[in-house]
Amino acid sequence: MNVTISQNFTNNGVQLRIEDREDEVRRAFKGSIIKLTLVGRYRISISRLFTRSIGFSLSSMAAAVSVAAEWQLLYNRYYRKPEIYSMKWKHIDLGRNKVACASYGGPIAVIRDDSKIVQLYAESALRKLRIFNSAGVEIAETVWRNPGGRLVAMSWTEDQTLICIVQDGTIYRYNIHAELIEPSLSLGKECFLQSVVECVFWGSGVVCMNEGFQFFCVPDFKSLGANGDGVVKLADPVLEDAPLCMAVIEPKYTMSGNVELLLAVGDYVLLVDEDGVQQVGAGVGPLQKMVVSKDGKYLACFTHDGRLLVITSDFSNIIFEYSCESALPPEQLAWCGLDSVLLYWDDVLLMVGPFGEPVRYFYDDPIVLISECDGVRILSNTTMEFLQRVPDSTVSIFKIGSTTPAALLYDALDHFDRRSAKADENLRMIKASLPEAIEACVDAAGYEFDISRQRTLLRAASYGQAFCSNVPRDRFQEMCKTLRVLNAVRSPEIGIPLSIQQYKELTATVLISRLINAHHHLLALRLSDYLGLNQELVIMHWACTKITASLAMPDADLLTILLDKLKLCKGIDYARVAEHADKSGRRKLAAALVEHEPCSSKQVPLLLSIGEEEAALTKATESGDTDLVYFVLFHIWQKKPSLEFFGMIQAKPLARDLFISYSRCYNHEFLKDFFLSAGELQEVAFLLWRESWDYGKNPMASKGTPLHGPRIKLIEKARDLFAETKEQIFESKAAEEHAKLLRMQHELEVSTKQAIFVDSSISDTIRTCIVLGNHRAAMKVKTEFKVSEKRWYWLKVFALATIRDWDALEKFSKEKRPPIGYKPFVEACIDAGEKGEALKYIPKLADPRERAEAYARIGMAKEAADAASQAKDSELLGRLKLSFSQNAAATSIFDTIRERLGVS
Amino acid sequence: MAQIPNLDNAPINLASLREQSQRELITILKNIRGKKCLVIDPNLSGSLSLIVQTAVLKEHGVELRHLSAEPLETECTKVVYLVRGQLDLMKHISLHIHDNASKGLQRECFLYFVPRRSVSCEQILKEEKVHDSLTIGEYPLYMVLMDEDVISFELECAYKECLVDSDTSSLWHIAKAIHKLESSFGLIPNVRAKGKASLRVADILERVQTEEPVNVSDVLPEISTLILLDREVDMVTPMCSQLTYEGLLDEVLHVNNGSVELDASIMGVQQEGRKVKVPLNSSDKLFKEIRDLNFEVVVQVLRQKATSMKQDYADITTTTQTVSELKDFVKKLNSLPEMTRHINLAQHLSTFTSKPSFLGRLDMEHTIVESESYDICFEYIEEMIHKQEPLISVLRLLVLLSVTNSGLPKKHYDYLRRELLHSYGFEHMATLNNLEKAGLFRKQEMRSNWLTVKRALHLVVEDTDTANPNDIAYVFSGYAPLSIRLIQQAIRSGWRPIEEILKLLPGPHSESKRGGLSRGSSFELLSGVSNNVDKAAVGRRSIVLVVFIGGVTFAEISALRFLSSQELAAYDIVVATTKVVNGQALLDPFVEKLT
Repeated sequence: MNVTISQNFTNNGVQLRIEDREDEVRRAFKGSIIKLTLVGRYRISISRLFTRSIGFSLSSMAAAVSVAAEWQLLYNRYYRKPEIYSMKWKHIDLGRNKVACASYGGPIAVIRDDSKIVQLYAESALRKLRIFNSAGVEIAETVWRNPGGRLVAMSWTEDQTLICIVQDGTIYRYNIHAELIEPSLSLGKECFLQSVVECVFWGSGVVCMNEGFQFFCVPDFKSLGANGDGVVKLADPVLEDAPLCMAVIEPKYTMSGNVELLLAVGDYVLLVDEDGVQQVGAGVGPLQKMVVSKDGKYLACFTHDGRLLVITSDFSNIIFEYSCESALPPEQLAWCGLDSVLLYWDDVLLMVGPFGEPVRYFYDDPIVLISECDGVRILSNTTMEFLQRVPDSTVSIFKIGSTTPAALLYDALDHFDRRSAKADENLRMIKASLPEAIEACVDAAGYEFDISRQRTLLRAASYGQAFCSNVPRDRFQEMCKTLRVLNAVRSPEIGIPLSIQQYKELTATVLISRLINAHHHLLALRLSDYLGLNQELVIMHWACTKITASLAMPDADLLTILLDKLKLCKGIDYARVAEHADKSGRRKLAAALVEHEPCSSKQVPLLLSIGEEEAALTKATESGDTDLVYFVLFHIWQKKPSLEFFGMIQAKPLARDLFISYSRCYNHEFLKDFFLSAGELQEVAFLLWRESWDYGKNPMASKGTPLHGPRIKLIEKARDLFAETKEQIFESKAAEEHAKLLRMQHELEVSTKQAIFVDSSISDTIRTCIVLGNHRAAMKVKTEFKVSEKRWYWLKVFALATIRDWDALEKFSKEKRPPIGYKPFVEACIDAGEKGEALKYIPKLADPRERAEAYARIGMAKEAADAASQAKDSELLGRLKLSFSQNAAATSIFDTIRERLGVS
Repeated sequence: MAQIPNLDNAPINLASLREQSQRELITILKNIRGKKCLVIDPNLSGSLSLIVQTAVLKEHGVELRHLSAEPLETECTKVVYLVRGQLDLMKHISLHIHDNASKGLQRECFLYFVPRRSVSCEQILKEEKVHDSLTIGEYPLYMVLMDEDVISFELECAYKECLVDSDTSSLWHIAKAIHKLESSFGLIPNVRAKGKASLRVADILERVQTEEPVNVSDVLPEISTLILLDREVDMVTPMCSQLTYEGLLDEVLHVNNGSVELDASIMGVQQEGRKVKVPLNSSDKLFKEIRDLNFEVVVQVLRQKATSMKQDYADITTTTQTVSELKDFVKKLNSLPEMTRHINLAQHLSTFTSKPSFLGRLDMEHTIVESESYDICFEYIEEMIHKQEPLISVLRLLVLLSVTNSGLPKKHYDYLRRELLHSYGFEHMATLNNLEKAGLFRKQEMRSNWLTVKRALHLVVEDTDTANPNDIAYVFSGYAPLSIRLIQQAIRSGWRPIEEILKLLPGPHSESKRGGLSRGSSFELLSGVSNNVDKAAVGRRSIVLVVFIGGVTFAEISALRFLSSQELAAYDIVVATTKVVNGQALLDPFVEKLT
């Protein structure tokens, strides 16, 4: 084998250039011959260095060559096509089947192609839809019995639902377990009348063409209804014949945000969307085959005269053109990343890049090309390969004769493993660029599917790290972590051959949900744990799946199994699992599960929905969230007959009290029923008594009108109810008096023709009577309500002071010895500002202290001081002195008296 | 000076909480395009004024109205109701919408609940068949920052609702608000609670924590201890007249959301009949200095300041000054407006404090607290009723008497109830019923243990020096508030040493550690605060959050500030309360307003 090396590298400021022609070093190695050449000009000066480096490169080539030997060069880029799986399936011939492969290493759906005439071996005439993982391990199968005509197209959506479109426009959906998802959808009437003939899928949508050359678009299968709602009919391009070929630009890459359909017609292309048809790219065609790149920017097309064109998707610019040997359109046309285009004819796979000679691969068996974001997976009857551009880091390490630091580091590890001192030499040489070498090794490890090679590369990186302190360690750890995840999902049983780039694009969360969807719960759980993601999703899904799958298991056993796993995750949503159990017809299990839900606001509504009102009420009460209690309360209130409702809340104090608060404000009558049913007569009495006030508020009812009667009746009714219980004697008497007072006030209003009595208190009524000069009426009220002499004196004195009837006041003071002394008289006069009147009564005050204060209040310091000295109260003296602090003369009086009393 | 208090000196980053509330409100307003009429629950207007300035609301096209039963007069086609979840308000809104319909007004109505949607309110809207004509949302305002160390949940009826109606909605609200604080400042490791409602809040807080956990691991808790105290435990303190400057301002002028409104003439502005609003918060440096002092001392401090200023002024006019001295003087002059403001206020207050009736009342309060001469107290109250003095001030003394005696003898109880009904009207049958249900005014059924509590906790302190206080008793000139004594204990050493006393007070108590952070044996850690301080970086003071369920008075807040300002105290206290109250505000919801 002849290998030519061409490389730039810098060492000690000397640029070395190795090229053909100059000098040759030959060396036989594992049957290969390696030719190394050196740039002439520096031959001598660097020869020493070179011999040293040759030493390393040659030894390291043991591994390097075998790696690089599998690469193909397309112009200046290497491509490789490692085999990822040898397919586990048996007797699958892609040629006789319709095959749908999901991207991102997703599942493969296979069904016998009913548009081809195929020979049946020992098999049923009924077709089977079989679903495999990417390694050819069967996940599920089912017999295809769907009506609606031929299966026109089949494809996986982004969420791994298999979409099967049949002639009459019916869309059958299958999950990964080959279970038909109900209901089946429809493309609508126009597709029913004129059969569907072709479909182009993208992410989660499709564009279909029917026999009438009309086009229908489903932007998202999730929002599609059974009778064709959600199907968008695109503008009619008015075609006479079928277009030569079709392609779509996904909505996310178009300006309008709606899907754009490209139709090759004649020698031009029609761009069709919802609103119109537009001719583009006149003269590029006629085009036999088109395919849009992953980023929606470019279009690869095959012309009728055998040219491959790569054009920008707005047809403004031809990027490159390549003439193929055959004018026959390829069976499959696919993008490999964004760098090159693959064309597949019967037995040849041609890879064309913008420059240089295309690469050719030969296949005897039929293959399917599966475009991925960073390459193409090639599925044949026996293998799954991944065609990918060799990443730069890998090239830098394994390219034959590479002397990059990364290659030297990789070599150093090899020396080290063989206990060769050269290891150290290598390291010294790349000392300065060790970090980048380590990075390249780590990076290259990520791109490998082969586990032992991943390990060697990582070991090389790790070896380098030992000599280098300033590399970020977490990059290495992160890569190990990622690779463990990738290796786990790549194992044939799981069969998801993700490359590192695909994994990053797909994200760990989506990967985990795909694993869950495929019922790989354990792996999903471990990955979530390992990656520090929330395990709740996995456990929840597991629990729901378990419930669905364990129809025969008794509730108690199933509950134990479920709880055992559910408790793994803190804060898990028990309510949702319970809801699922309820929907699966296991109400008891649901009730048992919801018991474990810590979040009351989730638990309570669910308990209600499964008819556990009592439990819901208890939980709501415990939560302390009164809003939740109300929620339950209204729910039960609506559902149950009153008596049962009363019974339920009677036992729950909080619920009961909230009900009362609400009803007090809004539903009096119902509340009365409640209290009556509970035998709480005093509460009913209070309600009636309150109602009597509402009458009072009615302007028609107050102020001496006949409506007064009903109000008093209500109060008397309340009185009777109060009288029923011993504790309420006081209230009963009060109600009695209240009724009596109202009657009396009513009479007073009639007799005085003044509407000022009703709703004033007994004391106020007395005062009003006195102010009006109606002493007889006042006296009557006094005796009727047994008003004490004490209160009577205060009231009358104050009332007389109000009308400033000082004579009457004096007369009153002399009627008899006032029961509470002359204090009221003094206060009334002082408050009215009548010092003279006050002086009539102050001397009559019995308590010298009171006298002192009274004198002080009307500013008679000397008298105040005398009285205080009589009381021998020094504290009082101090206080009085303070109140006279503005008055120097008064202060001195106090001081002398205080001295006399012997107070300092 | 702005009414919105400056929060820069807050011990924890409260400003960020307020900014969040601001943002949320503005977002709501922004999302409703164009001019709109914002109809607010009158009880929310105070809270809003502590969050955004009216000018900012106007910038967002807002026309502000108060919600009432009257039909809404506005040109706006968009109406935004911002209300708390109270049933009676729903009737008003329903009326408005029916009114719109009958007048054929095309109004787009939005209803935002504070702090969250309410099932019961929406039920009323459904019954009234207006639910569908409203776009319903929520404005999650769980608390309002009154000052740099005071948080209010704005639940002025919480106390009455809990005790009389057994409606514990407010407790959930409180727990949720504390949880919100925890999500900003970390899980509070120590929780001490006294009282039935407090324990329930602690319990709900635990539940909320399991439902929506605050991450224990990544946030180092900023607040080390949470103390929950029911107002029910100490109804004595709020019934007494507050004697600190701020407390007295509240008693006389009613501090409302951090400001008082009074006649312009009092503030020395010569405009007849006009009212002026005076903001009272820590942004006013002089107020910060004197708010917590006993009023007696405030007068002296103000006098000193005035004298020294006068002296400076004299110096300026007589001798030659250096420029820097002049500068200092001018600086001092800048504080002149604050000086004038507080001198005016203090003067206004002294006209009340010098009245014999005020002094007599103080005297009586002390007599009751000291549990001496029951008969004198009884007669004093009886006379107040006969004189028909304002009902609430009678009730304050009555409650004080009833609480300290654990009820009144049946004969007195029935007699006073009858006298009250006769003097103030039969509608107060409901008031009396409310008070009885709450245990505030009731029949004596057992011996009172007030004396024991008073002695054990040293509640009455003789010879209190109000000018240089060494004990919290200065706030009531000789009575150390029970609530603060309990908190003092709870901070210092937990409940353990006073368990016997706690049993004599209403409601259970509890003490718990959370978040699995417990280092060392749990009971040795009871002196949680000082321990935590040792562990925390030197110089960092630990923070205690004290939550009063049912309201707190300014005097109590002052006492707490006094505690944390003591030399040996290594903690800052943040007070949270359902509402800052005084005795009057506390009893007001109990008084039935039937007419």
